[in-house]
Amino acid sequence: MTSRANVINRIVLTVLGLLLLTAGGLGLALSFGAFGASRADNPMLPEEVRTYPDGRPWFWWAVVGALLLIAVLALLWLLAQLKTDRTTRLDLTTNAQAGYTTLHASALTNAVEDEALGIPGVTNASASVREHREKHLLLRVELADSADIDAVRTQLENEVVAHLREGLGNPRFAVSIELRPGANKTPQRSLT
Amino acid sequence: MTATNWVTRVVSALLALTLLFGSLLAVVEIAAAALDRGPVLVPYPDWTDWLRTHTWNDPIVQVLLGGLVVVGLLFLLLALRRGKPAALSLRNRTDGVDVTASRRSLEKSLSAATARTSGIAAASASVSRRTARVQARTLALSDPGIRDEVETAVKERLDSLGTERRMRTRVALTTKDTR
Repeated sequence: MTSRANVINRIVLTVLGLLLLTAGGLGLALSFGAFGASRADNPMLPEEVRTYPDGRPWFWWAVVGALLLIAVLALLWLLAQLKTDRTTRLDLTTNAQAGYTTLHASALTNAVEDEALGIPGVTNASASVREHREKHLLLRVELADSADIDAVRTQLENEVVAHLREGLGNPRFAVSIELRPGANKTPQRSLT
Repeated sequence: MTATNWVTRVVSALLALTLLFGSLLAVVEIAAAALDRGPVLVPYPDWTDWLRTHTWNDPIVQVLLGGLVVVGLLFLLLALRRGKPAALSLRNRTDGVDVTASRRSLEKSLSAATARTSGIAAASASVSRRTARVQARTLALSDPGIRDEVETAVKERLDSLGTERRMRTRVALTTKDTR
């Protein structure tokens, strides 16, 4: 799931929660006589409300319009759950008139993973290109329990990230590194 | 992704499906009624009768309204609960490079660092945004300074990572039952 979907979920759940809370709270207040004892004795669906649409043909059209809008919003909300922010291509075009240059993200991520795996103490590495606000590379690095975290971090930032930026020709390309210390007690990689 | 995010995702997907099919079903019922046909799937004449014959102060209505309030509160709780972070931010060294440490891995690492302290039989750790808690079982008759040793081991591990926020450490020791 994307962080964007997280934000959307929180906003929609807050709105729905507030709506249900308000509707339930006002209904309970009405039922306990907060708006007058006589109102609490009224049926939930009074006759004037039930017959309101009679002679007003626009009413059901308006209801159908609102329902379709809800259906579309619900569909978009559902699709947001399935969307990932991974991207498979990077556009490196500098001059569109001269042609387009795209790079498969896997070519980049494989190179980054291989270089990260060469650092002593790194037992596993996985990289992916993400697009949240801007394109960036997410690198997850598993470290042996005995790894010198400071040294690994220095090599990752000064070498792996530097080479990545150099390769892309973008010295500001954003990178997120997630360190996973203690993921494995001993490096699984064999020396070749 | 944290457990809170997973629950939020599942609830959101189910709610979105309910809203999608519920609203489409209502449109179908309105269209059927406009064509002078009876209910397709929803027995809405029965529902209308129920609403006409029950007053606001009816106990069953109050229970239903109370249910709405509870569900609304649950949605709000789910939306506003922060939960434990999936990763902790580490101090920035390079422009444009964000470095974090996975919380679960950090917990494993702190447990391992504690367990390596002499006199400790077993250890577990939990990490929140600001605090690292370690629970360790000591061997019987262990060194009285063992708490300081554990605390030092935990702090050293945290310092080696360089978390953005200075974290508090809490150490709880229990003695292993040797009977």
